[in-house]
Amino acid sequence: MIQPLTEGKRFTLVPGSEGLIETQKLEVSIGPQHPSTHGVFRMDCMLDGETVIALKPVMGYLHRNHEQLAERMAWLGSMPYTDRLDYFNSMTNNWAYALAVEKLAGIKVPERADYVRVIMSELTRILNHSCVIGFMLQDLGAWGTPLLYAFREREKILDLFEAVSGSRMMCNYMRFGGVRVDMTAKDLAAAKEIVSRFPHFLDEFEQLLTTNEVLLARTQRIGILPKELAINASISGPMARASGMEYDIRKIDKYGVYGRFDFRVPVGDVGDVYDRYYVRVLEMRESIKILQQALRDIPAGPHIAPEVKLRNFKIPPGDGYGRIEAPKGELGFYLVSDEGGKQPYRYHVRPPSFINLTTLEDMCLGHKVADVVIILGSIDIVLGEVDR
Amino acid sequence: MGFIGKGLFDGMVVTARNFVGSYFDKERLVTVQYPEERVQTPENSRTFPFLVYDDDKSPVDTMRCVACKICEVECPPQCIYIVMDRDEKGKPRQRPKVFDIDISVCMQCQICVEVCPFDAIKMDNDYEKSQYGRFDELVEHLPDLLKSNEYYNRIKPTEASAVDAKLKAEKEKKAKKAAPAAAAKPAAAPKTTAPAAPASTASKPAAAAPAAKITIPEDAPFTPEQRQWLSGFLSTIPAGAAPVTGAPAPPAPGAQTPAAGAPTGDWPWHDPALGMQQRLDLAKSASLADKLMAAMAQTDCHACGYDCRGYADAIAGGAEKDLSLCLPGEAETADMLKKLMEEAGKA
Repeated sequence: MIQPLTEGKRFTLVPGSEGLIETQKLEVSIGPQHPSTHGVFRMDCMLDGETVIALKPVMGYLHRNHEQLAERMAWLGSMPYTDRLDYFNSMTNNWAYALAVEKLAGIKVPERADYVRVIMSELTRILNHSCVIGFMLQDLGAWGTPLLYAFREREKILDLFEAVSGSRMMCNYMRFGGVRVDMTAKDLAAAKEIVSRFPHFLDEFEQLLTTNEVLLARTQRIGILPKELAINASISGPMARASGMEYDIRKIDKYGVYGRFDFRVPVGDVGDVYDRYYVRVLEMRESIKILQQALRDIPAGPHIAPEVKLRNFKIPPGDGYGRIEAPKGELGFYLVSDEGGKQPYRYHVRPPSFINLTTLEDMCLGHKVADVVIILGSIDIVLGEVDR
Repeated sequence: MGFIGKGLFDGMVVTARNFVGSYFDKERLVTVQYPEERVQTPENSRTFPFLVYDDDKSPVDTMRCVACKICEVECPPQCIYIVMDRDEKGKPRQRPKVFDIDISVCMQCQICVEVCPFDAIKMDNDYEKSQYGRFDELVEHLPDLLKSNEYYNRIKPTEASAVDAKLKAEKEKKAKKAAPAAAAKPAAAPKTTAPAAPASTASKPAAAAPAAKITIPEDAPFTPEQRQWLSGFLSTIPAGAAPVTGAPAPPAPGAQTPAAGAPTGDWPWHDPALGMQQRLDLAKSASLADKLMAAMAQTDCHACGYDCRGYADAIAGGAEKDLSLCLPGEAETADMLKKLMEEAGKA
């Protein structure tokens, strides 16, 4: 898209300004060390005045060879590495990988384990969404306030994660056929406490933001992603729903025990940055509903399938794709097991951040350079997952 | 909708509420002034692994690790390095001489803890590990890693007491199983079995095996090396003397599998304190499966997926083709297994 600036094309005329003024196209590289690129990510912007006329995302700075590494070690060995894909949401990453392996090996997960997984994933979702809104507002110039309010709430959830799994962010909590340790009554009580207090925080958060005139002016009609493009680019998660796609894997696949919960899928109609913000707020409210039901109904029983071996775990030849509705969209693991079955023959991750990022240029064209960072913030990327 | 700027005004109300509230409400002031005050980490919280030992007097002798190398193999980022300790004659001592963990590589995933069959490696919760250097300072060696069971009980009371109970039950079970066999032996010396052992909780589980046969009393004035040599020496006696009860007499062609769960006394070579040659001598007249078993490290660590008996039976029966699965036995065992199988094939 971006042409090198050759002598002949150096000066162009902005349409409508013929004879008035000659402007020069300017190539600006935003990142990879820019604070609003959410990690090490670079955007090669071509500007005409302040307007973006071309944008090329440059990624790969955080590439850690995740997929190839996984093909060289036992099945369980990749579990802690999945924590480091989307390091905000290690619980859902664990679940997606465990689900793919369980599909491939035909393991039945005990009911209680599924409930614990739902509780952990929905907590992860509210944690992710509240922080993403905070980051987005940070990019807007709301220095600190919404982000730190979100972090304050996030810390309570991370404390619970640490008490249950042993680590705040790199949980490494799920195992094939269940979860590593059971949630105790104390943990469940702590989860209930978080769930009962969170709506209050959310009300306050909305009071701060939803009708704020500055936020409305900066986000409405900015970075519109049309529904057709969202479908064609296989966008998923809150971004797709903000563009009007009623697409939620929790409803479609009903993996785990999601078929048992009563919740709605919020859908936007414009597909701009504001819709992406508001869909996330509504999703948090639905997550709270799921959490209340899960915490009420959680049955007693084993937390892991007893027949699953920790070591020398082998899977018969075959392939399988496990996908879940991660906070950022459809997170899938495609695994192939071959003769021997001690480690994956092929291990592929379908990361939502990466696929959602592909429409960045389409959303940014024609907007001011200051809007680029908000649009990027509204996509909700984590570079650990984009580059893998 | 209200007036223009109502959204901004509402937002200001929220920030004002949080600002004023932070003086009165603990919910709104969550900052901890770290070096002065510290948060109590939850019991499950984990940082880096350490090795558990039982007795403060001799940490190296009472550590639970038998250098079976399961954790070294299973560690996803490969940050563990183990070298088995050997005496002057090259006989393995069933404990590590070198046990290094590179904590700049370790990702605190706890998989080493989960796969350890001896409850020897556990996760610490000490998070203040800053160092001034980047290289050697970030490699923890055996002396840094060894921590007492009492320390483990202090940082993780629930988990540690469950482990202690489990080890105690295992030890009692082993002692009970071994008791009839020891009584049947003519040379049975005064027994000091597990229940009578001092309350220093479980010692090395592997040490329970020699204790089952002819036992040197706990208060006998021997150093650990002497004790080890003696128990090895004593266990050779029955084989040299009259035919031992239950030992297969003529070398039967093909795999003759002794009944599973037979008392340890029937396999005099099943003693990790013995050297390879001693063990093979003991099994000289036994079946192929027994000879194969004698070539193994006798730790019953399940690194191969079986115990020593099961792995030998599986190889002899043809169910297991891989001869390199015995991790604690290292190349010595793998070579010997290959040699034995070749000999059996020729015969």
